[in-house]
Amino acid sequence: MQSMIRSEFRKLTTVRAPWLLLAAGPLLVVAGITGLAESGGNVHDPGTQRAAFAHTGLAAVFTLVFGILAVAGEYRHSTITDTYLSSPRRGRVVGAKLTVYALAGAVAGLASSGAALATTAAWWAARGGHLHLSAADAWLTLGGGVAANCALAAIGVGLGALIRNPAAAIATALAWFALIEGIAGQLLGPALARWLPFYATEALSRSSLSATARLLPQWGGALMLLAYTAAFAAAAVFTTLRRDVT
Amino acid sequence: MPDIEVHGLTKTFGRVMAVRDLSFTAPAGKVTGLLGPNGSGKTTTLRIALGLVRPTAGEALIGGVRYGRLTRPRRVVGAMLESTGFHPGRRARDHLRVRAAADGIPPRRVDEVLGLAGLGAAARRPVRQFSLGMRQRLGLAAAMLGDPQVLILDEPANGLDPAGIAWLRGTLRDLAREGRTIVVASHVLGEVTRTVDHVVIVSAGELRFAGPLSDIGETHAALESAFLNLTAAPN
Repeated sequence: MQSMIRSEFRKLTTVRAPWLLLAAGPLLVVAGITGLAESGGNVHDPGTQRAAFAHTGLAAVFTLVFGILAVAGEYRHSTITDTYLSSPRRGRVVGAKLTVYALAGAVAGLASSGAALATTAAWWAARGGHLHLSAADAWLTLGGGVAANCALAAIGVGLGALIRNPAAAIATALAWFALIEGIAGQLLGPALARWLPFYATEALSRSSLSATARLLPQWGGALMLLAYTAAFAAAAVFTTLRRDVT
Repeated sequence: MPDIEVHGLTKTFGRVMAVRDLSFTAPAGKVTGLLGPNGSGKTTTLRIALGLVRPTAGEALIGGVRYGRLTRPRRVVGAMLESTGFHPGRRARDHLRVRAAADGIPPRRVDEVLGLAGLGAAARRPVRQFSLGMRQRLGLAAAMLGDPQVLILDEPANGLDPAGIAWLRGTLRDLAREGRTIVVASHVLGEVTRTVDHVVIVSAGELRFAGPLSDIGETHAALESAFLNLTAAPN
């Protein structure tokens, strides 16, 4: 297992694509907070500061794609053959990838939260406001965002193992987040909708895109995402990953 | 050194029977040629032996155990399959370093096999810049990385230039002389007569012949006529 983890790290550090993907998170955060400040956000309102910090969680859409490519990308380039020859126990491969990608997702989340803090500080200073960093709320929002980046990278690994075609896996994930979950949420009603993955991500990262939904508490969102990660990974190990590699 | 034994192997993909009750042994210390026309089940047989494809019936054993049960598989078996992929943006040397990490192989072995395969100068180039022959050399370097006792190669001469083919032949002969077990799947008969000791001929997934090359004749013409007779459709 240890050697597989080392090998997975080396896979990440020897190609460029994952780093571009992870760099996209902080850029999104900077742009999003700038947009918030420019569109007349009130820098004296603690709610605006939280909304700015919550951009950290939005960057998780990139760690999701990053995670998907961990497995589906290997099928695309046929490097999965080599991976399974080195580790015929395929469940262990998924375990190693979950470990490495969750860690990389957390690092990306830290970078995004740093970007959120710096960008917010800069705009607030420019507009004559000042940051409220003594409140637990600020750190729970930033920390939740980091955790969301970590969790969605892991969910991506499970999803990419389940849907081994990268284009199909990414399209499914993005369609779910942008479209399907909103409709499913309306059909299920707010009491059930809050258990869905995107609402759980909102709860964890304390972003309130869908203000009408009654979200789970932050820790509840974290547990739900953990459960989704385990469910996807287990489903993959027992279905698609058992298939012949031809 | 371990033999490869295939016992009653059968594999169906949907309605297609790719391999049908196939049995043969590839003995240690010999180069065994697995020969057959396109679509005769050679690659499927090798993939089953490597644990990538699950057989419908029967089994393939390496030194008496299935590939999936080997504790350090890459130290025992080196493999090169036609579809073994490379990430196009990864440098050749990094491809092998990823493998070395997975298999617990010391890093200096990476440069050693790059040298053996004649890729020393290209080691730091991304694989997308490689020709087919260079990819083939990288695949062979990767197969030899773990200094394995068993080598399983699918069409290894594909795309190699004459110098590469001569190098491959010499390398395989040397490795067999050290007692290792080597299986080479091919449909290029000319090269086979100069490399292999032992022949397994399959057609439509079934065994047609297994034995020393000398039993069917060691010239290209003799092997070709035997091959065509053995693999001809039954009617």
